[in-house]
Amino acid sequence: MEVVWITLSAALAISVPALATGWAQSRIGPAISASLAEKPELSTTAVLLVAIPETMVILGFVVAVLIMGRAGG
Amino acid sequence: MILPMARVRILGPAKLLEPTLATLQDLELLHLAAPHEVPGLRPALVAGRAEREARQYERLAAELDALAAAGIARIAPAAQPADRPAAARWARLARRVRRQVASLDAERASLEQGRSELARYEAFAAAFADLLPRLRADGGVRTWDLLLRPEPAVLAGLRAALGEVLGEGYELVTAELPTGELAAVLLVPAREAGRVEGLLLRAGVDEMPLPPGVEGHTPAEALAGLGARRAALERELGGLDTRRAALVREHGLELGQARAAVGDRLMGMTARRLAAETPHTFVLEGWLPADDRPRLAAQLARRVPGPVVLEEVEREEWEGEPAPVVLRNPRLFRPFESLTAMMPLPAYGSIDATPFVAVFFPMFFGLVLGDVGYGLVLAAIALVLRRLGKPGTPLRSVSEVAGACAAFSVAFGLAFGELFGDLGRHLFGLHPLLFDREEELMSFLGLVLALGIVHIVLGLVLGAVNAFRGHHRRHALGSGVSAAMVVLLLVVLLAAFQVLPRSFFTPAVVVLLAVFPVLVVAEGIIAPLEFLSTLSNILSYARIMALGTASVMMAVVANQLVGTFGSVTVGVLFAVLFHLVNFAIGVFAPTIHGLRLHYVEFFGKFYSPGGVPYRPFGHWRPPRPNAA
Repeated sequence: MEVVWITLSAALAISVPALATGWAQSRIGPAISASLAEKPELSTTAVLLVAIPETMVILGFVVAVLIMGRAGG
Repeated sequence: MILPMARVRILGPAKLLEPTLATLQDLELLHLAAPHEVPGLRPALVAGRAEREARQYERLAAELDALAAAGIARIAPAAQPADRPAAARWARLARRVRRQVASLDAERASLEQGRSELARYEAFAAAFADLLPRLRADGGVRTWDLLLRPEPAVLAGLRAALGEVLGEGYELVTAELPTGELAAVLLVPAREAGRVEGLLLRAGVDEMPLPPGVEGHTPAEALAGLGARRAALERELGGLDTRRAALVREHGLELGQARAAVGDRLMGMTARRLAAETPHTFVLEGWLPADDRPRLAAQLARRVPGPVVLEEVEREEWEGEPAPVVLRNPRLFRPFESLTAMMPLPAYGSIDATPFVAVFFPMFFGLVLGDVGYGLVLAAIALVLRRLGKPGTPLRSVSEVAGACAAFSVAFGLAFGELFGDLGRHLFGLHPLLFDREEELMSFLGLVLALGIVHIVLGLVLGAVNAFRGHHRRHALGSGVSAAMVVLLLVVLLAAFQVLPRSFFTPAVVVLLAVFPVLVVAEGIIAPLEFLSTLSNILSYARIMALGTASVMMAVVANQLVGTFGSVTVGVLFAVLFHLVNFAIGVFAPTIHGLRLHYVEFFGKFYSPGGVPYRPFGHWRPPRPNAA
């Protein structure tokens, strides 16, 4: 039973940040696209702004790996 | 690195200002700046007259630019200076040529419209090839060639209206044209022509226009003359091309040289605005790389016909002014300037991040991709891009950055024992030299976090150096203490987990607690929060492990596809496809995240933007297209 809970925890650790990242990028994407249409020189900022929320899902992945490591799998 | 700059002052008799400016324009060394204010010095030009003259030259430049854009003027280095008589001659020539070009363009537009109408009529004629010649000879029948909108309601409405007026006494034949329009030929008894004319007018139905050159003929005659008309049109268009080519041949070079000369003149005027003079002397000031100062002095002495003095302005005089920035890095690091160029130019006196980016960016990339096979594919792509890109172009820089990334990918691929995932292990018995990324996730995480600590501590140390150079002593102390605290925290953690001897734990904690107040004093009450943000920056490097693990897992899955299909061929095809997708992601993801780690985590610790680009006064050059 413990394995089930650990696996579920790992799944939540990656899926919730993934949803949050998706939501954040869905708001940033259109806004930065509109800005780029007017100021193409903002492309570096655009890349950074889109990449910033990915930190959540990446750290979620790391936490999930750590949780799975605890379960021995 | 950022080249050290020297600010120099050039003084000489007022009559030598023009030859001095001409020499400086040829040398293209001095980034001009307004001289420091000294009593008795005044701007070298009477503002109103200079502005008027500049506007005239700008108008001429715009006219010549328009002719260059139209393909008439062929830009070439200036053959003579743009003095007033020459400029007046070029202005007259440009006006005359522009009128000729406008007339040629108008003729071409008219001929092309005729050609398009002809094509339309030919399509119409082709649709009714059998019908037209037979019916038009009948004098008792009136015909209309019609164009209808393709909606079915339009045709049905027309039929209903005709039926109401003529009953069964008409014929309407339709055919769809390649353009999507509906062509129709309407035949009615000649005596009903008047009523039908009115009906068509009310219904808003367009009659098919006869192409120019065949108007006034009956449609049957027009049909016969279409071929001849088309040939005539092509001949006339060819004639226009010949006249245009003759115009380019006759005046293109002169107009192009004129554009360069006018550009030079305008740049000279801009430079003149930055000169100052007394009744008998002129003063020019500007910046140049310190190493180029002797060359400038020697050239001025050799080329200016008279006594001109070049002296260096003391640093105390220009301290605080924004000196222009020239980045000059060793050949190996130079391609990475294209990555730092995506950020604003660093301020003069601060640190150029290019050498650090050149070391860490390909390393992060290699840690993520970390595969001998993918690395070799990337190297092949880099070689192709290198062949395609000319030296000094962005494409050449991209190819060289890609080459460095490929080299690190191959090196880490050997360290992790990966060749297209686990394929190398199965086929060639490849073994990891460092550790297996697929199994030892914690070792991988430890490695990237250690790298993160090195990167962030380096950033903090550079920040301290930068602040010290800029005389921000407290900030320098704060950055230095932050760097020390990160290292101490690492020692505490390693001692706690007994990687280091346990005896290190207490002294490290004591020193950590002792330096903490220094940080607060140096950076203010916000310092603890900033320190926490620095620690979260280090955790951000875990993305390298996450992306790298995802990459190797995808590669392993791609290899497993071979055995999951009934046919080996289908399995291999799917595996190759999956590897291609993984390779594309494997190149894109580390590029984006490598840049992010640099721009956000690393640059945030020391980078001081706000540099002024070094633009030496020189000759006009046409704006460069995005050359590959």
